[in-house]
Amino acid sequence: MELIVALGIGVLAGCGVWLLLRPRTFQVIIGLSLLSYAVNLLIFIMGWVRDGRAPIVSTTAAVDPSSFTDPLPQALVLTAIVISFATTALLLVVLLAARGFAGTDHVDGREQEE
Amino acid sequence: MPQDLLLVLLIGLPFAGSIAAALFPTNARNAEAWLAAAIALAGLAIFWIFYPQMSNGEVIRFELAWLPAFGLGFTLRLDGFAWMFGVLVTGIGFLVVLYARYYMSPADPVPRFFSFFLAFMGSMLGVVLSGNLIQLVFFWELTSLFSFLLIGYWHHNAAARDGARMSLVVTSAGGLCLFAGALLLGHIVGSYDLDGLLGAGDRIRTNALYLPALILVLLGALTKSAQFPFHFWLPHAMAAPTPVSAYLHSAAMVKLGVFLIARLWPVMSGTDAWMWIVGIAGLCSLLLGAYAAIFQHDLKGLLAYSTISHLGLITVLLGLNSALAAVAAVFHILNHATFKASLFMAAGVIDHESGTRDIRRLNGLYRFMPITATLAMVAAAAMAGVPLLNGFLSKEMFFAESLTVEGPVESLNRAMRFIAVLWGMFSVAYSLRFIHGVFFGPAPTGLPRTPQEPPRWMRFPIELLVLACLVVGILPTLTIGPILDVGVRALLGANTPSYQLAVWHGFTTPLVMSLVALAGGALLYALLQKYLARGVDKVPLLPPADGRRIFDRVLMVVSWRWARSLDAMLGTRKLQSQLRWAITAALLAGLWPVWQQGLQWGPLPWSDIHPALAIAWAIGAACAFGAAWQAKFHRLVALVLLGGAGLVVCLTFVWFSAPDLALTQLLVEIVTTVLLLLGLRWLPKRIPFVWTLPGALAALPRRLRDLAIAVASGAGLAAIAYAVMTRPLPDNTISRYFMEHAYPQGGGTNVVNVIIVDFRGFDTLGEIAVLGVVAITVYALLRRFRPARESTALPEPQKEQSPATVAEDLLVPAVIMRLMFPAIALLAAYLLLRGHNLPGGGFVAGITLAVAVILQYMAGGTRWAESHLAIRPLRWMGAGLLLAGAAGAGSWLFGYPFLTSHTAHLRVPVLGELHLPSAFFFDLGVFSLVVGATGLLLIALAHQSVRD
Amino acid sequence: MDHLVIAPVVVPLAAGGLMLLLDERRHALKAALGLVSLALLLAAAGALVARADTAVAQVYQPGNWPAPFGIVLVADRLSAVMVLLAAVLGMAALVFSLARWHRAGPRFHSLLQFLLMGLNGAFLTGDLFNLFVFFELLLAASYGLALHGSGTARVRESLHYIVINLNASLFFLIGVSLLYGVTGTLNMADLALRIPAVPASDRVLAEAGAAILGIAFLVKAGMWPLGFWLPATYAAAAAPAAAMFSILSKVGVYAVLRLWLLLFGSGEGAELILYGGMATLAYGLIGMLASQDLSRLAGFSLLMSAGTLLAALGSATPAATGAALYYLVVSTLGIAAFYLLIELVQRTRKPGADVLAVTAEAFGEGDEEDEPEHQAGVAIPAAMALLGLSFACCALLVAGLPPLPGFVAKFAILAALLGAEQVPGAAWALLVLLTLSGLASIVAMARSGVRIFWASESSPPRVRLIEMAPVGALLALCLALTAAAGPVMEYMQHTAQTLHAPRAYIERVLSP
Repeated sequence: MELIVALGIGVLAGCGVWLLLRPRTFQVIIGLSLLSYAVNLLIFIMGWVRDGRAPIVSTTAAVDPSSFTDPLPQALVLTAIVISFATTALLLVVLLAARGFAGTDHVDGREQEE
Repeated sequence: MPQDLLLVLLIGLPFAGSIAAALFPTNARNAEAWLAAAIALAGLAIFWIFYPQMSNGEVIRFELAWLPAFGLGFTLRLDGFAWMFGVLVTGIGFLVVLYARYYMSPADPVPRFFSFFLAFMGSMLGVVLSGNLIQLVFFWELTSLFSFLLIGYWHHNAAARDGARMSLVVTSAGGLCLFAGALLLGHIVGSYDLDGLLGAGDRIRTNALYLPALILVLLGALTKSAQFPFHFWLPHAMAAPTPVSAYLHSAAMVKLGVFLIARLWPVMSGTDAWMWIVGIAGLCSLLLGAYAAIFQHDLKGLLAYSTISHLGLITVLLGLNSALAAVAAVFHILNHATFKASLFMAAGVIDHESGTRDIRRLNGLYRFMPITATLAMVAAAAMAGVPLLNGFLSKEMFFAESLTVEGPVESLNRAMRFIAVLWGMFSVAYSLRFIHGVFFGPAPTGLPRTPQEPPRWMRFPIELLVLACLVVGILPTLTIGPILDVGVRALLGANTPSYQLAVWHGFTTPLVMSLVALAGGALLYALLQKYLARGVDKVPLLPPADGRRIFDRVLMVVSWRWARSLDAMLGTRKLQSQLRWAITAALLAGLWPVWQQGLQWGPLPWSDIHPALAIAWAIGAACAFGAAWQAKFHRLVALVLLGGAGLVVCLTFVWFSAPDLALTQLLVEIVTTVLLLLGLRWLPKRIPFVWTLPGALAALPRRLRDLAIAVASGAGLAAIAYAVMTRPLPDNTISRYFMEHAYPQGGGTNVVNVIIVDFRGFDTLGEIAVLGVVAITVYALLRRFRPARESTALPEPQKEQSPATVAEDLLVPAVIMRLMFPAIALLAAYLLLRGHNLPGGGFVAGITLAVAVILQYMAGGTRWAESHLAIRPLRWMGAGLLLAGAAGAGSWLFGYPFLTSHTAHLRVPVLGELHLPSAFFFDLGVFSLVVGATGLLLIALAHQSVRD
Repeated sequence: MDHLVIAPVVVPLAAGGLMLLLDERRHALKAALGLVSLALLLAAAGALVARADTAVAQVYQPGNWPAPFGIVLVADRLSAVMVLLAAVLGMAALVFSLARWHRAGPRFHSLLQFLLMGLNGAFLTGDLFNLFVFFELLLAASYGLALHGSGTARVRESLHYIVINLNASLFFLIGVSLLYGVTGTLNMADLALRIPAVPASDRVLAEAGAAILGIAFLVKAGMWPLGFWLPATYAAAAAPAAAMFSILSKVGVYAVLRLWLLLFGSGEGAELILYGGMATLAYGLIGMLASQDLSRLAGFSLLMSAGTLLAALGSATPAATGAALYYLVVSTLGIAAFYLLIELVQRTRKPGADVLAVTAEAFGEGDEEDEPEHQAGVAIPAAMALLGLSFACCALLVAGLPPLPGFVAKFAILAALLGAEQVPGAAWALLVLLTLSGLASIVAMARSGVRIFWASESSPPRVRLIEMAPVGALLALCLALTAAAGPVMEYMQHTAQTLHAPRAYIERVLSP
C-alpha cells in the first residue's frame, strides 16, 4: 500500500516537473497543479498511521492518540490546498493577461526557436 | 577655547561653510568669497595658535567614539607634519578663494563652486588630521569625490565631463586599493590608529603581508599624485576652472599622495621593494613629465606635466630611503606649492584677459601686462630652479642626494646624477618656453580679447606667492626654516638628520650640476625653437598614445563588452532555464545528505495492497501522464485529466481517513476546474504544430535533459515518501496534545477543524488573507484585461445557434439549477455550523456557497445572474477579514492573547447539542471571506464574457 | 498582558480589511487610513526594538496555547529590527505613492497593508509552518504590487516571478513536512532541541528537508544562480512597489539566518552560503556594469548587496554577522531610496538615452573638440540639483564609499574577517570581490550619472515635494546611520551573539 501511494506521489511530481519545464503557460499551470497534488500528499503521509481512524474524537471516552491518524498534517494540507488554489487562480489570470498583452502563450512572452 | 575643540573646528568650519554656501543666491559672488575666505583664514589662524606646541614637538589628539566594536574612533591628530600641510592647505586655499572671486564670471553659478570648494578643503584637512587609517581613507575618498565635482564644474562641455569622470575613476579606484591596504596594515598591527601604526615599523616591514600592503597603499598614493603610470588623468583635469587647478593640482589634492608616502615613510621605507616601486614610479614621472611639458601648447597643459614631474621629484626623494632626501622632499612639497600655484594663477590671468591659453597664439604679452609678466617670470624661474629662488634650494638638495644613492643596482645609482641633470635641463627648457613663448616676441594677432593687466586684487595672490618664492629663496633659514623644521622633526622624529638651508654651500658638485642644467636647458630650448614653431600637437620620441584614449578604450572593453558577454554567459532571462536551475538545485540539495549518509527504509513492513486503491492509482497515474502529454495542444483534455488525477488524490484522502481533506479537495477541484474552463475561453487555439524531423532532433537533447530532471524529481519524492511511510510517527508529536485537548479545551470533536480555527487559528488568519489578496489582485488585473484579439470572437457553437435556442436547450437544467440555489445555500450553512465537530467548516461552506453562485451564472448567463443576485464580493471579504480579526481581538477584552477561544454551549433544535465557541465567529469570518474571494474570482472571470 | 508583539500583524490586517469595505474612489480616506496604520506600525516597531534590547525575546502566544503546541510570535532583536525596517520602507513607499501611483490601479493601499502584514508576520513568527503562511501572504501581496499598473512588461515579468516563487513555495512545503515528519514539531525552538535528538537513521531525512528548505529561501534571497528573476521583475515594477521589494530579498536572507543558526548552528552549509554569496556578488557586479538602464542597475546592486550579506553570514563568525546585519539595514534603505529616485529621474529621460551613455563612451564623444573658450557655467535647476545629490548619495552607498554608511558596513565586515589571527582564504577573496564591486559601481554609476545630470539637455523633471521627501528622508536616515554607527553596530553585535548562541532564545520561547 505504502509503495503505491509513494509511486503515485512520484508520478504526479514527475509529470508536474516535466510540465513545469515546458515553454507554454498552460503547461506550466497544469504542471504546478500536479506538483502541488504531490506535495499535499507528501505532507499528508507525514501523519501516516496504519489503519488509523479519522481524527474525530468522542465527547465522552478518553482519547488514545495512537489509534488516530495524525491530525496536524491534515490541517497543514488544508491550508496548503487553499493557498495553492488561490495562487493557481492568480497564475491563470496572469497568464491570460500575458497572452493578451504579448500575443503569444510562450512563457517568455515571445516566440523563440528553442 | 579648549584645543581639541579647535581641532574639530578646523574640519567642521569648512563643511558647515559648504552647506551655507550652497544656499546663497546664484549671483552672490562677493558674499560667497567673503565666507570662503573667512573660513580659510580662520583655519590658518587656528594653525597659528597651535604653532608653539608644534615647535616643541607636541602631538594634539581629539578622540570621539565612533565604532568601538571595531576599535575605531573619530580621531583627530595634529603633529608638526600635519600642521605644516594644514598651513599649506588653508593658506593657499585663502589665496585661491581671493583669486576665484575675480576669476569666476558674474554669470557663473558660484554657490555650487564655493560649496564644493569648501567641502574639498574640509576633506583635505580631514585627511591631514586623521588619527587613524580608516578615517584617513574616509576623507581621502571624499577628496576624490569633490575634486570630481569641481573638475566637472563646467559640465556643459564634454572635456570637463570626461576629465572629471576619468579623475574620479582613477583616483577612487586608487582609494579602494588604499582602503584594502589600510585593512591589511590594521591586520598586521592590530590597530588602525596612526600612533600605533607609526610605532610598529619593524613589525610591518618583517610581516609576510608587507609587500601586498605596500603595493595597495602605493596604488592609492600614486594614483592620487598622478604618478606614472597613472599620470594621464592630470592633464585632462585641466578642463577645470583655473582656481581649481591652482588649488587641487598644485597645493592640495595631488599633494595627498606624497603626503601619504611621507607619512608612511618611517614605517614602510627602508626596503628594496619600497625603493624599487616608489623610486621607479618617481623617476618615470620625473623625466616623462618634464620632457612632455616642453611640447605642450596649452599653458595649463604645460603646468600639468610640470606638476607631474615635480611630484615625481618628491616621490623619488622619498624613495631613496635616505632621511636627508626625505627632508628635501618635504621642503620641495612647500616650494612646489608656492610657485606652481602662482603659475597656475598667472596662466589663468592670461587666459582670462586674452581669451586663450594656447602658447602658439600668445606672443609678446609683456607689453600688455608687464607686472603679471614679471611675476610669472619669477615664478617660472623658481620652477626652473634658478638661484636665489626657493625652487633652487630643494633642487640643490636633490642634486646632492643624487650623488649618494645607495640602491640595489649600482649602475642605476651612478646614472642617478645624470638623470638629475637631464631633468634640470628639461625643467629649464619648459620654464623658458613658458616665459619666452608668452611674454616676448612680436605683438599677438587675432586674440579673442586685447590683453591687459587684471584687477588689482586678482593679481594680489600671485604677488604674495612670488614674494614668498623670493624671500624663501634668499633667506631660507629665517623664513621657511622653522616651519620646515616643525614638519620634518614631526615626520622623522629621532632619526632627523642635521641639514642646513643655505643659498651658498660653496662651489660644490650640485652647483655645477645646476649651472650645467641651466645652460643645457637654455640650449635645448634654442634648438627646439624651430620644431616648436611648427606647432605640431605631438611629443617627439614618445608614442602618440593619448592616455585618455587608452583609458577609455580599456574601460569600454572591460566594463562593457566583457561585462556584457559575461552577463550573457552567467545569466538568463528565460523562465525555463531559471526553473531548471531552481529544480536542479533543490534536487542536489535533497540528494546531498542521501549521498553522504545513504537512505534506508523504515522498519515497518508493507501493509497489504488493496486492489481498489491500486486500480484507482493506476488510473490516476494514467491521468497524470495524459495531462503531461496533452497540455500543449489539447488543453481541455489535459484539464479533464488533471481533474481525474485530483479525484484520485481526493479518493486517497478518504481512504486514509481524512474526510475534511477529501471534502475540501473535492470542492476546490470543482472550482479550479470551473475557473480554468472560464479561462480556456481566452486562450486561443494553438497554431497547428507541424512535426519536422530536424525540429524534433534539435529539441531532443533539451527534452531528454528535462525528462531526466523530471524522472529524478519524481523518483526522489517517491523514495522520500516511502521512507517516511515505513517509519512510525515520532513518539512525541505535538499533535497528541491536540487530540487530547481538542474537546476539553477546544470545544470540538473534529480535531482537524479545531486545529484550523483554534490551535493554529493564526495560520488560518494568514491563509484567508492570502485568499483575499489574490482575489483583489485578480480583480485589479482583470479590470485592465485585454484579451488576445483572435479570441474575442464568439466561439463557433455559439455563433451557429441563436441565443433563443440556447436558452431553450438549457431551460430545464437552468430551472433546476436556480431551484438548487437555496438548497446549496442551506447545505453551506449546515457545513459551517457542524464544522467544529464533523467534517466541514467555514472554508468548505464558503466554497459551497460560491459554487451555488457560479451555478446561477451558468444557468442564467452573466447578465441575468448579476441582475438577480447583487453580491458585493469585496464587502464580503472585508467583513470576513474584520470579523475574523475581531473574533481574535475579542479575547483581549477578557485579558487573553489574540485568538484565545471561549466556548458557550447551547441546545438548538435539529442540530442538537451545539457548542458555540468564539472560534465559531472566527470560522464565520473565514466563511464570509471565502465566499467573497471565491465569488470574486469566478465572477471576475465569468464577467469577461459580457465584455464588449 | 500586553499585545505589542502582535500589533505589527493586527494593525495592517485591520487597516487592509477596512479599506476593502471602502469604495474604489475614496483615495483620500484610504490614504489617511494607510498613514495612520503606518504611524502605528512605526511606533510599535520602535517600542519592540527598544524592548528587545533588554529582554532576550518577547514571546506571544496567539490562542493562548503553550509552546511548542500553539503558534508563538517571538520578538527578539533581529525580528524587531526587521519589523522596524519594513515599517520605515512602508511609510516611504506610501508617501511616495500618494503623488500618483496609488491611483494607477485599484486597491493599492490594501495590497501595501497586506504586504506589511505578511512581512511582519514572517519576521515575528516562531513557527515553521506559520512562517510559510506569512511568506505566502507577503508573496501574494508582492504579486499584486508587481502587477500594479499592469502593462506588457509588468505582466510578463510578474509571470516569471510568480511561477518561480510558487515553485519555491512547494520546496518550502516539502522541507517543512519532512522536518515535521522526522521531529514531530513545528515550533522553531522546539525543532532546535529535537533535531540533535533525531535517531541517526532518520537524520538524513531531516537534513534533506532542511536543505530543500534552504533552497526555497535562497531563491527568494536571489542567490546566484537562483536570482535571475530579481532585476527584471523589480525593474518592471512600479516605483513604490520596487522600493518595498528591496526588503523582500532580505526576507530570504532573514529566514536563512534565523533557521540555519538556530537549527544547525553555524556548522553545516556554511560553505554553500559563503561561496554562493560570493558568486552572487560577482554576478551582481558584472550585471551592474552590463546594464544600461537605471532600474536594472538598481536590481543588480540589490543582488550585490544580497551576495555581500550571504558571504558575510557564510563566514559564520558573530562579529561578521553583526556587521552584515548593519549592512542589511543600510543597503535596504539605500536601494529603496534608489528605486524611488530612478522613477523621478527617468521622467526626464528620452527612451534610449541610457544607451547613449555607453555608446558615447565607446566612440569617445567629445574627443575631438578642443578646449573651449572660457565661458560661464550653467546653473543646475533646484529640482535637478536635489535629484543629483540624491543620486550621488545612492551611488556612494552602493559603491560603499564615504560618507554613506555602505563604507562603514564594508569596513566592519572586512575588519571582522581580518580580525582573526588566522585569516581564511575566503576572507581574502571577499576583500578582493568587495573592492572590485566598489570599483564596478563607481564606473557604472558615474557613467549614468554624468550622462543624466551633466550632459542631458532635457528639461528638469516636474517633481513634487511629496515625492522628494521620502527619498530625502531615507538618505538622511542612512547618513544618520553613519554618524550613529557605534550604537547601531553594538545593537547588531548583540543580535549576532544571541543568534550564534540561541540557547537563551530557545529556553525563553519554550518556557515563557
